[in-house]
Amino acid sequence: MMNNRHNVMLSASGFCRRWPAVGVALCWLLVAVKAVAAPSFTATLDRNVVPVGETVTLSLIFEGATPTGAPPLPQIRNVGVAPGVNQSSAYSFVNGQQTSRQTYGYTLIAQTVGDVVIPPMQVTVGGRTLTSAALALKIIPTSAADANAANSISNLAFLRLIVPKTEVFVGEPFPVEVQLYWQNAQEIRMPQLQAEGFSVGSMPKPAQTRTQMGGAIYNVAIFKLTATAARSGNLTLGPVEGSLTVLIPVKNQRQSRDPFESFFGGGQQFQQRPTTLASASVPMKVLPLPTQNIPEGFNGAIGNYQLSVSAGPTNVGVGDPITVRVQISGRGPIDSILYPSQTHWRDFNTYPATSKAETTDELGLVGTKSFEQVIIPQNHEIKSLPPVKFSFFDTSSKTYRTLTGPTIPLTVRPSGVAATQLPSLTNSASGNGPQAADDIIHIRPRLDASSAVAGPLYRRPAFLALQLVPVLVWLGLFASRKRNESLANNPRLRRLRDVAHRVRDGLKELRTHAEARQSDQFFALLFRLLQEQVGERLDMPASAITEAVVDERLRGRGLSEAGVKTLHELFQACNVARYAPVQSSHELAALIPKLEGVLQELQKLAA
Amino acid sequence: MNAPVRPLSILPLLVALIVLIAPGAWAADSATAFDAANKLYEQGRFAEAATAYGKLIEAGPRSETLLFNLGNAWFKAGNTGRAIAAYREAERLAPRDPSIRFNLQFARKKVSGSDSTHGSLASRALAALTVNEWTMLAGVAFWVWMSLLAWREARPDCRSAVSGYTATSGLVTIILVGCVAASVAQLNQAEAVVSVPDAIVRSGPLEEAKVLHQLRDGAELTVLDRKDVMVAEQKQTWVQVRDATGRTGWLKSDHVVEVGGIRPAAGLR
Repeated sequence: MMNNRHNVMLSASGFCRRWPAVGVALCWLLVAVKAVAAPSFTATLDRNVVPVGETVTLSLIFEGATPTGAPPLPQIRNVGVAPGVNQSSAYSFVNGQQTSRQTYGYTLIAQTVGDVVIPPMQVTVGGRTLTSAALALKIIPTSAADANAANSISNLAFLRLIVPKTEVFVGEPFPVEVQLYWQNAQEIRMPQLQAEGFSVGSMPKPAQTRTQMGGAIYNVAIFKLTATAARSGNLTLGPVEGSLTVLIPVKNQRQSRDPFESFFGGGQQFQQRPTTLASASVPMKVLPLPTQNIPEGFNGAIGNYQLSVSAGPTNVGVGDPITVRVQISGRGPIDSILYPSQTHWRDFNTYPATSKAETTDELGLVGTKSFEQVIIPQNHEIKSLPPVKFSFFDTSSKTYRTLTGPTIPLTVRPSGVAATQLPSLTNSASGNGPQAADDIIHIRPRLDASSAVAGPLYRRPAFLALQLVPVLVWLGLFASRKRNESLANNPRLRRLRDVAHRVRDGLKELRTHAEARQSDQFFALLFRLLQEQVGERLDMPASAITEAVVDERLRGRGLSEAGVKTLHELFQACNVARYAPVQSSHELAALIPKLEGVLQELQKLAA
Repeated sequence: MNAPVRPLSILPLLVALIVLIAPGAWAADSATAFDAANKLYEQGRFAEAATAYGKLIEAGPRSETLLFNLGNAWFKAGNTGRAIAAYREAERLAPRDPSIRFNLQFARKKVSGSDSTHGSLASRALAALTVNEWTMLAGVAFWVWMSLLAWREARPDCRSAVSGYTATSGLVTIILVGCVAASVAQLNQAEAVVSVPDAIVRSGPLEEAKVLHQLRDGAELTVLDRKDVMVAEQKQTWVQVRDATGRTGWLKSDHVVEVGGIRPAAGLR
């Protein structure tokens, strides 16, 4: 039993030790499964127009899937398949997303002039069936310009201008392909297309391939672009001109003794010859758009399109936004399609639409343009969104066409506060309630000066200062009470202040007595002041202070000899005055400074 | 011998004269301009009358009479949003004025179609008095409280007799000071009224931002934020607002007029 429990604990602890690694692995697996993109299968041609006898490369590209082998090609009319398949693989891990790419390349040989359709191919990979899109290949006859390649330079390098469609309408974009062939060359410059009367995009970055022609292998740079006729009539597109330095092989005069040198071609020498190449021109017939039966909402769209419309939400209040999504898909100048104006949406406030173009071909002629427009219903009586209409000129049927979207039912309810339909005021005063007034109260005829408000009271300094008055009064009374309480609890301090007060008043009184020659009062007061001050310093009753105390107590307290002497003099003067009270005013006044001096000295003594 | 008069010595006299005379001169001028604006109103030239009232408000101290007449002029000119903003500003100065309250209610009813009251009970109670009235009340209570405190200090023997009154007056003072603070906060709460027929509320302060909803002229809003953005080297001001139903979003500032708050009278010009 113990053993079993021990084993369980061991295995549990073992799992606990291992689980972080297992968890990390599971997380990685989840992330990896999520990160791997859905598999796709694409078929592409390195060029869509090829002269008879030349080769073109068909690439089958698998992304996120790896077939067991090179898929077999279906039967393709007018085209032969050269033996052998080029296979390449690539893996990438970008931003946490892992991508595998498997490419199989087949060399097709153009055998007969005509339009070739490579049908959709189906390949089963990992239990899933992947299907490619159909491809179009146009095989054209070798042009007269190529026939001029009789001289040695033309054999080594030449330019072709290929325009599959030579009858177009004004404003209709059409593909143009410029092909530059060379065997050995350097300093190759971008070819320039002369296109008077046409609007041509800038020369794109070329796709490069190799092809076999007349027993020689050529490098081919293919420039694919679109052109649009700006005016009608018989116009000429081209020629294309380009320059490069052709390397012409020359016979080696010096015989090498090294057999390996000639075996690896090391002995081959070239002559450099700067050359300007020019292709043939292509005559174009440009037709004007018909002036009859132009639909009302036509805004210049040309091509072949389908229309898809949706809107939401469809249950809203007045003033709430509804987003209308319009998708126009098909073939034509996708990016330049304009949003069709809807003049019949009168019950809606409309705002400028945002757009996004997505093309599926490299020339931008096939794809979808999506528009999103916000509209706001203005009343609750709206029941539906009128259909979106889009008109364009169909180049295949050579007529104008108008596509109409569905009528989308809407539920528009009266909104809440602030976004409601304004109700009639008179309606609200129905029933037994009081009759509502039907207008506002009239303006006031006079400007009452007292109604002008200068500013908030709490910001006015006078008001704030006024509020300080009771605070200051209270603080003053509070401080006074505290002082009184402090004095009440400290008798010595109270006596000290009391004596100081009495001395201050007594000195003034002494001067009065001196001036009035009131000798008795003068000396009585002098004696009392001395008793009060000495008694306060010695913490003794004032009545107990006599001249004898001066020597007994004050000497030991640090009073100076001069102070002691003055005290004696003053006490003795008081005694003498009892028996000979009459003294002059001057004599009395002379005693006051002595008294002041000794009192000050006494006040400085430690209590 | 007369002492020479120094130029600087008469400067205080000149200042005093200007201070005394200037308000009287403004009052006379404003009365004339006020009459002229009223005349425009009576002639049915409501937009011109509103501009004239607005100029008077800009020139001098605010007055509920001017704001009331301005609200009337905007209302008659068909701009309910601006009228509501003016009435609300007037209501802040004279919250119990029945004419202002009636016209404001009338304009609000035109917008929403209902007689519903705006704001909570507490905010309506606060708005029953002006800030100055609250301040005066608080000031009186403060004086009473301080006087009782001083009495206690002066007559310690009467302390127990007045202690109840002191505590009560202190409590009343604190409550009233709180009311002043709340009233000031309510006054400084930035509010705005939509002043265009259809104002588009977006999710951000950009023309390209998603449209959230639409507000009608006269919708009353609370301003939450303000942001200036540069578009083609031109400054655009956007305000973040919340409406009565709690929906938030951004509006161009020129689609609203503000009531008090950040720029007290800016919207009334």
